[in-house]
Amino acid sequence: MLPSRRQFLRGALGTAVSLPLLSTLGGGRARAVPPTFPRRLVVFFTPHGVVRKDWILGGSELALGGILAPLAPHKKDLLFLKNVDMLSAGYGPGDPHQEGMGALLGGTGCLADPLGSGGRRADTGDPVGWGGGISVDQFIAKGLGAVTRFPSLELGVISDFDQVSGRIAYLDANQPVAPTNDPAVVFDRVFSDLGADPGGLARVRAERKSVLDAVHKQFARLNARVGKEDRQKLQTHADAIRDLELRLSAPGAMLGGTCSKPTRPSIDPANLFGYPQLGKLQMDLLVMALACDLTRVGSIMWSHAGPTPGSPWLGFAEGHHALSHTGDSDVDSQTKLSMLKTWFASQLAYLIDAMKKVPEGEGTMLDNTVILWGSELSVGQTHSHKDMPFVLAGSCGGYFDTGRLVSFSRDAADKGRSHNDLLVSLCHAMGRTEVKTFGNASYCSGGPMPGLAKA
Amino acid sequence: MRRGFRATTAGLWASVLASAVAAACTTGTIGGDASDPEQPPVSTQACTADPGPSPIRRLTRFEYDATVRDLLGDDSAPARAFPSEEESHGFTNDANVLSITPALAEAYMVASERLAARAVAKLPFGLPCDPAHETTTDAARVCAKGFIQSFGLKAFRRPLEEVERAELLELFDAARAESGTFGDGLRVVISAILQSPSFLYRVELGSGPAVDGVAVPLGPYEMASRLSYLLWGSMPDDTLFAEAAAGRLSTKAEVETQARRMLADPKTEAMVAHFHEEWLQLSRLKNVLKASDVYPEWSPELRDDFSEETRLFVKDVFWSQGTLDAFLGSSTTFVNARLAKFYGVPAPEGSGFVKIGLDASQRMGFLTQGSFLAANAKPNQPSPIHRGKFVREKLFCDLLPPPPGNVVIKAPDPKPGQSARERFAEHTKDATCRQCHKLMDPIGFGFEHYDGIGRYLATEGGKPIDATGEIVGTDVEGTFDGVTELRSKLARSQQVSDCVVRQWFRYGYGRAETDADRCTLDRLGRSFTASGRSFKELLVQLAVSDAFRFRRPVGGP
Repeated sequence: MLPSRRQFLRGALGTAVSLPLLSTLGGGRARAVPPTFPRRLVVFFTPHGVVRKDWILGGSELALGGILAPLAPHKKDLLFLKNVDMLSAGYGPGDPHQEGMGALLGGTGCLADPLGSGGRRADTGDPVGWGGGISVDQFIAKGLGAVTRFPSLELGVISDFDQVSGRIAYLDANQPVAPTNDPAVVFDRVFSDLGADPGGLARVRAERKSVLDAVHKQFARLNARVGKEDRQKLQTHADAIRDLELRLSAPGAMLGGTCSKPTRPSIDPANLFGYPQLGKLQMDLLVMALACDLTRVGSIMWSHAGPTPGSPWLGFAEGHHALSHTGDSDVDSQTKLSMLKTWFASQLAYLIDAMKKVPEGEGTMLDNTVILWGSELSVGQTHSHKDMPFVLAGSCGGYFDTGRLVSFSRDAADKGRSHNDLLVSLCHAMGRTEVKTFGNASYCSGGPMPGLAKA
Repeated sequence: MRRGFRATTAGLWASVLASAVAAACTTGTIGGDASDPEQPPVSTQACTADPGPSPIRRLTRFEYDATVRDLLGDDSAPARAFPSEEESHGFTNDANVLSITPALAEAYMVASERLAARAVAKLPFGLPCDPAHETTTDAARVCAKGFIQSFGLKAFRRPLEEVERAELLELFDAARAESGTFGDGLRVVISAILQSPSFLYRVELGSGPAVDGVAVPLGPYEMASRLSYLLWGSMPDDTLFAEAAAGRLSTKAEVETQARRMLADPKTEAMVAHFHEEWLQLSRLKNVLKASDVYPEWSPELRDDFSEETRLFVKDVFWSQGTLDAFLGSSTTFVNARLAKFYGVPAPEGSGFVKIGLDASQRMGFLTQGSFLAANAKPNQPSPIHRGKFVREKLFCDLLPPPPGNVVIKAPDPKPGQSARERFAEHTKDATCRQCHKLMDPIGFGFEHYDGIGRYLATEGGKPIDATGEIVGTDVEGTFDGVTELRSKLARSQQVSDCVVRQWFRYGYGRAETDADRCTLDRLGRSFTASGRSFKELLVQLAVSDAFRFRRPVGGP
């Protein structure tokens, strides 16, 4: 049975938890339980890999420099990986960007699409379709059940490339989830009800329930009449409506503690000159949604892995993608590219800071969160999926042993550790300890990535 | 699979060109209209009656906004806040990828509630009675029943079934009982209708027995919807509903009459504009940045003017001459004062755009407009690659492979006295690069007279400009000099003509072509050519085509 009161929320670990943000706790059973906090997963995506020479870790001492310099104040909360390859990206159709986008969170290749939705693979000419399986964020969100008002939030910062290279989240194979680029739209969806008159909200909920029930019946009737493929599509829609209905009775946010209603943003969501402001607004909204426990899973896409435009806020017009293809000898372009990567790192530092400002028990929100910083490539210039620049931030309730660099070896065939195990680690950190493999099982070892979790 | 298809199409075209009879393809047994010599009711080995895939289509954001405008008189365009559609083959209306996410399901709910609230605020909007005068519960129910029947028909684009009417009336009763007002009852009914699959999807089940086991005729209401979404991107109007109610729209002639009527309606304009926006990638212009030291005259205002120019040009071409040749060759365009200065013509009076003629040796058609030239260029220089790639992909319908990994891709910096052709010579020197770049760069070299923001240059670095180019691997092989000659080649290319047909097919039918559509495309191509490549005629032919009037049997043949 779903909890109707917030103090009986079931957390990701399946234990009864209470949320100390609430001023309305009525005592009883919840008080006897020591406060724990929900665990959260946030994906922080930046495209086109990194500039290797400026990716300065400084060995096990973690003397972060170059691109990583903005993260130096947070190094105790970070976990770096060396020689983790995105091996499962490399067997399906698609160009390396598309392969990387499908595999980053899905751990599997893109679909072979006879209709070629996404263009052609460079070497074979095979047409490519959308991602081949559910992404780890959606998998975790689904498994949490209707405990929060929103299953997950997919946010974008001018992430407006609606092709295979513009999606990381998938509900299932061939079912991409688009990021929302307009902070005002995010606000309207997530926060507009917050603080509204409870009596009015209850009426709205009751009305929604009866309407959604009727709509659901219509879907069921239609489903019985259409062909198999259409049925699948309609079923997905019907399921989404059922989930929506369940979440109407999920505990809504209650103001108090750090949870407060943000101001409704008003900004042109497509203007490149406003990129830093857009990014900050999206991160603030995400952190507040997490602080209010309106959702526990989120992602933020900084642009996309397609033909990205220029970076006028840093003073250059050259597109990120074009810069990423320049050679090492092109010092000017490589400098600009490193500037942009460093700027992305500073945005991650901002997000970490924002989470650290949310007190949760003895620690902060960051302690109950894991942020995965990932890209679809390791180096843009070579389109490589080797030694991916993955960074984890936050221990996710003490699961990850942070403040370290974990190095893996490369085998005789120059293969590193498969990143699918990292996806399994994320599942375990979020309480899904039964998960053995994620994505394409042939790229999994049968458990989480060794050396990441606290002993 | 698609490769095979292309080859076959080319083969078919060869036979079409070679033979005046051009009977490689016939329609099969469906749509057999003895009075139509082009449609002999015989099956041949080459063509079956298979109308191609018939997936259920959910309304796109574009269609949703137009539909609620026509249904409720509400032009708030709520779908602008819906999640973006995925793009496939250059268009965002491919039924295959129009999926549903939790965010979209929720957005539908919220939009329905708001639309419904606004609608009932305008009562007695659409009501068969005046609720103010319905004092008894029974009378109010009769009124609500009438509304459900008439509004439901328009929203579902077909008459409601008994069970649907009963369910909606039940909702009305419950909401009315809860709040005590007639308006609340109606509001909840409207909200439920707008979230129904019968509103959000274009449901087509077909009606009648299958022809050859592979093609089922669409019912009259289904046909009315197909027509209205094809030509207007919106719901049927009263005339279409009346046609459907009378059981018409089952013959080619009836469909054609409606299609011609509809094309004369201004509602077609938005659909035509939307098609061009996606086909020509016009939205890409908004993120185009230029290096201010190289192009000091570039500004967001100039960029927006380019957009507006092309929007007006495309509209004018479609509604005036209405041909592919005009699209590729007309030197008539639209300028405001800023653009007039850019094109070097006298500024018009006032602040708006006016229609003018430009120097026909410098400007001809879309490919010489700032919107295309600036978007397909680098921040500090033109890009022959991107211009060539656009022509290849959007006008020849080639799908080029992406560049291989591990190559350094950087446009060489412009040097004084060096042309783009010289800078990009590397591609044609290196054997690996040449494979693909020979398809693009030599077409792009034909644009050497246009700089990175689309200005016309008579000379570059004091030297005369070499704008000779070459097209390979098409039906218009060979060299050409400048866009004038490129345009002539494109204008006589059957492959370009065929490609434009294919672009309209994808957009109009909301899906990519398959092997089963070969004959349909072939026939559309023939009539497009025969009509002098008239866009309007192409749309009429898309509407009357068997592939459009039939569907595959539900559950497969």
